[in-house]
Amino acid sequence: MSLRVVVNHEERTVASAPLTPLSTVLREEFALTGTKEVCGEGFCGACTVLVDGAPAVSCLVPVGLVEGRRVETVESLAVGEDLSALQAAMIETDAVQCGMCFPGILMTLTGFFSERPDADEEEIRSALAGNICRCTGYEAIVEAALSIRGAGAAASAVEAAS
Amino acid sequence: MNKPVIGSDLPRRDARDKLRGRTRYTIDRGGLGMLHAAVRRSDVASARIVRVDVEPARRMPGVRAIVTADDAPGRYGLTVADHPLFAVDRIRFHGEPIAAVAAETLAQARAAADAIVVELETLPAAITMEQALAPDAPEIHPDWRDYEVLFPGGRRSGNVAWEATVERGDTDAAFARGDVTIVESCFRSGRQNQTPLEPRACVASYEDGRFFIETSTQVPWAVRDTTARLLGVRPSDVRVTVPAVGGGFGLKFEFAVEPFAALLARASGRPVRLANTRREEMQTALCRENADIRIRSAVTRDGEIVGREAVVLMDCGAYGGEQPFLTTMTAHTLGGNYRLGSVRLLSRAVYTNTAPTGAFRACNGTYNTFALERHTDEICAAIGMDPIAFRRRNVIGDKALGSTGQVFEGDVLGPMLDRMEEMTASRPSQQARADGRLYGRATVVGTWFIFVGPSAATVNLNPDGGVTLVTSGVEIGSGSMMQSLPQIVADSLGLTPQDVTIRAADTDAAGYDVGVGGGRQTVSLGVASTNACIEVKKKILRVASEMLEADPADLVLEDGHVSIVGVPEQRVSVPAVAARAQVTTGPISGSGAFTAPGTAAMPGCAAGHMLEALDLPVFAVHDCEVAVDPATGHVEVLSYTVVQDVGRAINPRAIRGQIQGGVVQGLGYALHEDVSIDAEGRIRQEGFETYRVPLAQDVLAIDCHLHEGAPSIGPLGAKGAGEVPILNVAAAVACAVSNATGKSVDTIPLTPPRVLDLLTGYDGPQEHHHIAKQWTDNCLPDDAVCVA
Repeated sequence: MSLRVVVNHEERTVASAPLTPLSTVLREEFALTGTKEVCGEGFCGACTVLVDGAPAVSCLVPVGLVEGRRVETVESLAVGEDLSALQAAMIETDAVQCGMCFPGILMTLTGFFSERPDADEEEIRSALAGNICRCTGYEAIVEAALSIRGAGAAASAVEAAS
Repeated sequence: MNKPVIGSDLPRRDARDKLRGRTRYTIDRGGLGMLHAAVRRSDVASARIVRVDVEPARRMPGVRAIVTADDAPGRYGLTVADHPLFAVDRIRFHGEPIAAVAAETLAQARAAADAIVVELETLPAAITMEQALAPDAPEIHPDWRDYEVLFPGGRRSGNVAWEATVERGDTDAAFARGDVTIVESCFRSGRQNQTPLEPRACVASYEDGRFFIETSTQVPWAVRDTTARLLGVRPSDVRVTVPAVGGGFGLKFEFAVEPFAALLARASGRPVRLANTRREEMQTALCRENADIRIRSAVTRDGEIVGREAVVLMDCGAYGGEQPFLTTMTAHTLGGNYRLGSVRLLSRAVYTNTAPTGAFRACNGTYNTFALERHTDEICAAIGMDPIAFRRRNVIGDKALGSTGQVFEGDVLGPMLDRMEEMTASRPSQQARADGRLYGRATVVGTWFIFVGPSAATVNLNPDGGVTLVTSGVEIGSGSMMQSLPQIVADSLGLTPQDVTIRAADTDAAGYDVGVGGGRQTVSLGVASTNACIEVKKKILRVASEMLEADPADLVLEDGHVSIVGVPEQRVSVPAVAARAQVTTGPISGSGAFTAPGTAAMPGCAAGHMLEALDLPVFAVHDCEVAVDPATGHVEVLSYTVVQDVGRAINPRAIRGQIQGGVVQGLGYALHEDVSIDAEGRIRQEGFETYRVPLAQDVLAIDCHLHEGAPSIGPLGAKGAGEVPILNVAAAVACAVSNATGKSVDTIPLTPPRVLDLLTGYDGPQEHHHIAKQWTDNCLPDDAVCVA
């Protein structure tokens, strides 16, 4: 019996065995290679996706556990050519270097802001505790996150109203 | 007129796709028919290989090829060819490759690799440098005398893979003077793992008698040449291309997985993907080496350094790799920073039965600067001089002599110290935030180099008026290919950076290049590109001069047009010139090249050095404030300030990003990135759970000033800015912790248990019984000099 998962707003059928890590299914079955497998142990956060809106490290989630649930990956953030407010802010602060950690960081912060749109700097840093970035030293990432706090609140207000 | 492109905070062209998850790194590549590979590695540190039987693996499901030492006859090295691709007869480190397998799936490849029968007879091991240098130490390379020498001049013997020395002036006389204080210190530093998020990975295929390798590397040409050497084929039969690289930091400055995949592709006739697991990356990364240092100085009461001696032992692991080359850099770091009346330095790469070490951002500069700056503070304490006043008095300035006798140009460190003092004086001290903990502060200086060397560039003018820059440059994240080079080329040709297309590295398309590392890419490729642009510009003006009926000398190229000086309305567009060239001269292109001019050292004072002088020195001044918790040993950095010599800032915001990232990596090195090796030679840290890299909650915003105007051979006076930010960090933190605790910090990283030991005196000071107190007793005899 095959599994069904809603990936980036589209219902998909999963061919892999239920114990296959979600990250592997996303990358290898659906070619959603934006999700990065870096440690495979849940420590680096590069494979973070949203499951029913909440951040999860997809390398530790067997795909069988997300049957019938909503999974969103970094590829879902931009609408057409319009970047999300957080993505645009990362460009504004010139945050990106090698870029490998950004898909996970974006998904962590997107999930976090939907719950805590007005979080302060300390809360943003602790939200990032599970995401390793080896290039940037984090400051431009935190700066970008701080810069969209208002926008984040507005976006989630729109979502709540719709 | 367009806004100036040099000195502007322009965005990077690869950010958008990286933020959308669309960038395809090497680990995201592959295609139809691709096989997966796994490497069988040794699980002991030292052994004789009795038997390797691959037949059981060959019968496993999905297996398409297995390769072993029989398939790779060559040996690799920078100075001495000591490193085979697979262990031959003997295992020298835990994790050494024995065989490689390609199969239809990764799981099948791993299962087959495990099924290979390996029979070993354990041999005595030397895990530490003390063990490797002991009189009765096991010889890790019994055949070291027979290895091919690729660069002569160093001394070698047994477990000493390479020895380089500097001797300038009469240090015996300096230490014998009646008016000097002699200060002696020992230091120890640990390994640091680069841990880029993208592991070393590649996809290789074999077509029409040539290997094609897509790989995550900093050095496409070195991968090409090393793969050919190890496989025993012509270098021109290997093509290397490089997609976006997910971080390097020096780890990818040598070949890694490529020759295995290449062999398997040839054997199977299929494309083969090989990517290291995180555990393999932790176990076999070419870490920044651990080191032991003894340093001694003779200093007068008014602070003149009349003599200095030092011995630096660098643990190269089981094979030499980069370390014999890096012994060179002791001369320019321990022998840098300060004016020295006389100096002798000995720097050794020592074989141990551990994973080979390699390059990591600012390499041995980090621990040599830590040792030198801590030693400098001990000198200041011994003679009762203020540490900043001592540094002001002694830092190298215009016409100062380096340790190898090179003459430095320009006053750089002095004005940078002034600037640091202005910056720190303009803000309140953070002492109040220490809140009951021990507060300390330190300002330290550093000397490093830009690793210049050959680069080639071609610039093609396209019919639409844009240009394509073709080089072997690689974007590893620093922005040198995505920001600096388009800015430099645009500035040279009066275009916008958007008009400049950057061709990704391809050894079949572009000329030779040393690679990205050592802060060199913007400098070496920048000059090569500028030179290519000079030729393109000349050709553009020649064609335009016909179109405008004017002398080329009266023409100016700017804002995408050629116009007559003083008659701006008399102009033709660059696309029009390009179209005209198609029918008159043929398409316009230019080529440019760069290599270091060579800087003079004093004849005869350096032996075994691949660089006797620095063609492009670079300097940094760092200041930090810390709070040390005496109950837990935790060190909090309260403020961190950098003044960095950048020559000229092409993109100031991008440089600030490099400084922030580099300092944070340095804080990890100084405080909590701990690689430890057990008695069996196994690296204990297997992943991010136990190897603690800095997280968002650990770090702070770095206050920085970009010092411009120092002499530079770089393009437009620029210097590489990505490597040097990490140089002084361990020094600044260690000196500040010493200042806070009143204790002599002689070991890094300063993990909480180590800080508690320091406070209680539990471990005692480093003594280094394996480094003789008398400098000359450490040197190998003259007949140990290796000749080609």
